[in-house]
Amino acid sequence: MPTPVIMPKVDMDQVESTIISWEKAEGDHVKFDETLLTVETDKVAIEVNSPGDGILSGILFNEGDVVPVATIIAYILKPGESLSDVENASASKHDKATKPVQEPVSTVEEKGKQASPIAVKVAKELNVDIRDVPSSNRIVSREDVEAYAATLVETSVPGFGPGSKIAATPAARRVSKEKNIALESLKGTGPFGRIQLKDVAQTAHSSTEPDAALQAEIVQMTGKRAHIARKMQSSFQTVPHIFETIEADMTRLEELRVRINENSISNGTSKVSLTAILVRLVAWALERNKYLNASLLDDGIHLWKEINIGVATTLDDGLIVPVIHNANHLSYSETALRLNELSQKARQGKIELSEVQRGTFTISNLGMYGITQFNAIINPPEVAILAVGASVRKPVVIDQHDNISVRPIVKFTLSADHRVIDGVVAAKFLADLVKVIEHPEILYE
Amino acid sequence: MEKNNKEELFIEKVERLNLQKEELLEMFRKLCTIREFELMADKLYALGKVHGTMHLSAGQEAVAVGIRHATHIDDYLINHHRGHGHFISKNADLNLMMAEFLGKEAGYCKGRGGSMHIADFSSNNLGANGIVGGGIPHSLGVGLALQMQKRDQICISIFGDGASNEGVFHETLNMAGLWKLPILFICENNQYGMSMDIKRVSAKLPIAQRAEAYDIPWHYIDGNDLLTVYETVKNAAENIRAGEGPTLIETQTYRYFGHSKSDRNLYRSKDEINEWRSVKDPIIRFKNNLLDNNIFSAQELEVIEQEALTVIESAVDFANASPDPDASTVKEYVYA
Amino acid sequence: MPEITYAEAIRSALWEEMKQDERVFIIGEDIGVYGGAFGVTTGMLKEFGEKRIIETPISEPSIIGAAIGAALLGMRPVAEIMFMDFILLTLDQIGNQAAKMHYMFGGKATVPLVIRMPSGSGTGAAAQHSQSLETLLMHLPGLKVVTPSTPYDAKGLLKTAIHDPNPVCFVEHKLLYKMKGEVPEEDYQIPFGVADVKRAGKDLTIVTNGVMVHKSLAVANRLEAEGIDVEIIDPRTMVPLDTETIINSVMKTGKLLVVHEACETAGWAGEIMAIISSSRAFDYLDAPMRRLTGKNIPIPYNRVLEAAAVPQEEDIEREIRAIVRGDY
Repeated sequence: MPTPVIMPKVDMDQVESTIISWEKAEGDHVKFDETLLTVETDKVAIEVNSPGDGILSGILFNEGDVVPVATIIAYILKPGESLSDVENASASKHDKATKPVQEPVSTVEEKGKQASPIAVKVAKELNVDIRDVPSSNRIVSREDVEAYAATLVETSVPGFGPGSKIAATPAARRVSKEKNIALESLKGTGPFGRIQLKDVAQTAHSSTEPDAALQAEIVQMTGKRAHIARKMQSSFQTVPHIFETIEADMTRLEELRVRINENSISNGTSKVSLTAILVRLVAWALERNKYLNASLLDDGIHLWKEINIGVATTLDDGLIVPVIHNANHLSYSETALRLNELSQKARQGKIELSEVQRGTFTISNLGMYGITQFNAIINPPEVAILAVGASVRKPVVIDQHDNISVRPIVKFTLSADHRVIDGVVAAKFLADLVKVIEHPEILYE
Repeated sequence: MEKNNKEELFIEKVERLNLQKEELLEMFRKLCTIREFELMADKLYALGKVHGTMHLSAGQEAVAVGIRHATHIDDYLINHHRGHGHFISKNADLNLMMAEFLGKEAGYCKGRGGSMHIADFSSNNLGANGIVGGGIPHSLGVGLALQMQKRDQICISIFGDGASNEGVFHETLNMAGLWKLPILFICENNQYGMSMDIKRVSAKLPIAQRAEAYDIPWHYIDGNDLLTVYETVKNAAENIRAGEGPTLIETQTYRYFGHSKSDRNLYRSKDEINEWRSVKDPIIRFKNNLLDNNIFSAQELEVIEQEALTVIESAVDFANASPDPDASTVKEYVYA
Repeated sequence: MPEITYAEAIRSALWEEMKQDERVFIIGEDIGVYGGAFGVTTGMLKEFGEKRIIETPISEPSIIGAAIGAALLGMRPVAEIMFMDFILLTLDQIGNQAAKMHYMFGGKATVPLVIRMPSGSGTGAAAQHSQSLETLLMHLPGLKVVTPSTPYDAKGLLKTAIHDPNPVCFVEHKLLYKMKGEVPEEDYQIPFGVADVKRAGKDLTIVTNGVMVHKSLAVANRLEAEGIDVEIIDPRTMVPLDTETIINSVMKTGKLLVVHEACETAGWAGEIMAIISSSRAFDYLDAPMRRLTGKNIPIPYNRVLEAAAVPQEEDIEREIRAIVRGDY
């Protein structure tokens, strides 16, 4: 029996991967564990290796194809075997080799769409009919469900419960679907608050429809971009964000940094950036504010025991968030080292999956671009993200005698999930953070 | 009831009417064929092979055969739901008839009509009607058309005693008498409507006398005497063909089976049925006349009886072997 | 183009067809010297004689029956039933006989028969002489049902009816007999199953027949000044029905109003609405479909009550405004 090459699942909520490139071609002799192709998951690129020695045959998908996990994508033929062996076996047991073997996927009877089990589960919890969930992929994912559920949160019709149908004329439904306008974002002016065509038309005018006369270079929303889009939209729509900004005087921190880096030259350790220091200090603050280092899951709020801080990094093709695991157990230099390593790997496209997984808090720094303050979107399943602004030298009152001095001031904005974190809780975290920033020696107490 | 002045002998009547042996034999054949068809229909029903119901005319054969032989083969026939006998007399193809009976595509009406709606327009059989009296007014139109088209066929409009109380019976007779249309009205009186004895539902009998109200000549005769039927009809038809206007003939007869298959004969006695079946049976009477007068031998008649049965049996085989209509054609023939 | 009345248009169709085809004849009550209850056959007895203009006793079922019998033998009878209400007397002949014969005789019988009948209210003829019963006839497969609203439509459709090998019920609204309209002199026929857009518009589709076409047109023309643009579809033949034209119209306007004189319950408005909601036009509906029909009552005698029994122009106008306003 030919050995199937299966699209591997590497992430718990992964449903598919995009084939980036085939390293081997149809008919090539391959050895066990040789890389056959590279695929891109939501987060990283991974190599798929050969399950055995033999000839690579029956390649079913090409570069650029989006393939669901657990699908057979090719076969390894040992001497004497042929592809027809597969046909015969498949016919009797499961779908023919030409059809993707989905496993495990629930069937949603609508238009041949299928849904991942977790999507089905989440749909049930959110009281959403899985069959209503739109998806641009063959398999409805949890993100799709969450995104759709978010559109059902508010309705403009009294008497209709949350998550249930909105009153709209068939024409209004058709046009709003065509123009990709969510019905619940519209105000119906018809009887019973019914949304009519003209309500959609108003919005359509001021909405996302681009002027047909304009030219554009079209960038496909695939892979990472699509994943980020889904995640951010879902987070923005599902998570009730609160934003709190606090200013910190960075004088002491800058002194600290200079001092450490002086020694680094002689110690042979890496240069420590402000970000690296911040990671350590944020970890300290998180130790004392457990609710900021948590996730809201089905069974409740998980207050994570590890503090794994992701540092948002921008690459050409999008955002990546390498994670510094156990950030509260690393020294400044260790943190800096790790951070540098990760940045380099990221830039070279060599980040490993484990290096972007299991984050519990994220820091995003746009200070190098001169941004003084911004509100970041929380990175689910985390409950908070810290946006770091640029350091600006400004006059501040430095003592109770109203003496003024020019100090480097940074605005930190915390975005917090209000389902888990109340205003005061968020405030306390920020206060702690500013305290340790302005008095770094506290770290060693 | 009209009878001859003196009791004319059968053989004398045959000579007077100029009936040849071949024709008499053919008449006998038809009588037997009709009887065998009705008996077979009853048997098929008992075997569960017939969908719906049927209205058997066993016992009324002489009326059908007499009319057929006394008129032209291309005269127009408007029939009623108990009309297998009239159809068979008019030289219907028994295979196609049996096939229609069993609802097959090969049937006269492609299985769409069934027993009550058998028609064959190519032989001027304008169809049996499931509505009592429903076909009577059609004869007006046939008569009118025959006049307009200047043809010498007549319209034979056959209905039962029950139909004579429908409004359209009166309307039609009125207009037919008024316009002197070429219609021969035959009221096949088998004594009962469905379960109602004709005496219980008619203010005045005989039915045929109603024709007087419409200035139409009428006759009331023994429908189980084949030659009486033959003679009366022949004379009437000639008058009608000559343009003298319509005639109404009431033929007294009897049906052995119930009105339909759901009839358990609660409204008449077994004795009554048996009396008609034995002494008054039209086939027995005709057969005896043929034998008694040595016109044919018993064996010759037996051969005919056997052939009649054989023809019916092979019709059943044909029908059984014929396919049902294809369900996908169910919407066809709604519109021409 | 000459203008003639609806009655004259019908007469000219009958006349021309009878001249061209020996098989065509008319049968009915008082159609000879009297010229028919509404004068449609005036002058025809003199032209064609009593063998082709056949006057009958008052025997409606047998009038239809006779027509059926003649049709079976290849004639082309046109039967006149004096008031549509009287077809209830003839339902066996129309429904059990004429409608069924082609089918139950396996396609072997054809009944090329036309039954003409004046219908509708507005003349004070009261309950038994004022009905619009086309829905009953539409429900009997095997019949065709024609409801012309103008002289032009009447003449062209009647000719088609006479040529049609099926039984055709030809419904003439009695208020239309004196209405004038342009009718070409040349011979023409109007095919069955083709609706007429009596007025093109974009805001609302009205589907209507008979005299209601004219009421709707009057209202639509008035509303044009206010910028309300109504499209009026006259199906002309209820069976066979031109569903495509109606569907396309509703796709254009997104709003449907069906107006008919026939009573509301099980009236043919429901048929149109069912057709639309199961067609692709469904996704183009921007308001609930509405119907404006005769009330579920026998037609009263009193003039005011009689008018209140069926839709009038004010009712049509009110309904159009309400729909366009989005009241529903």
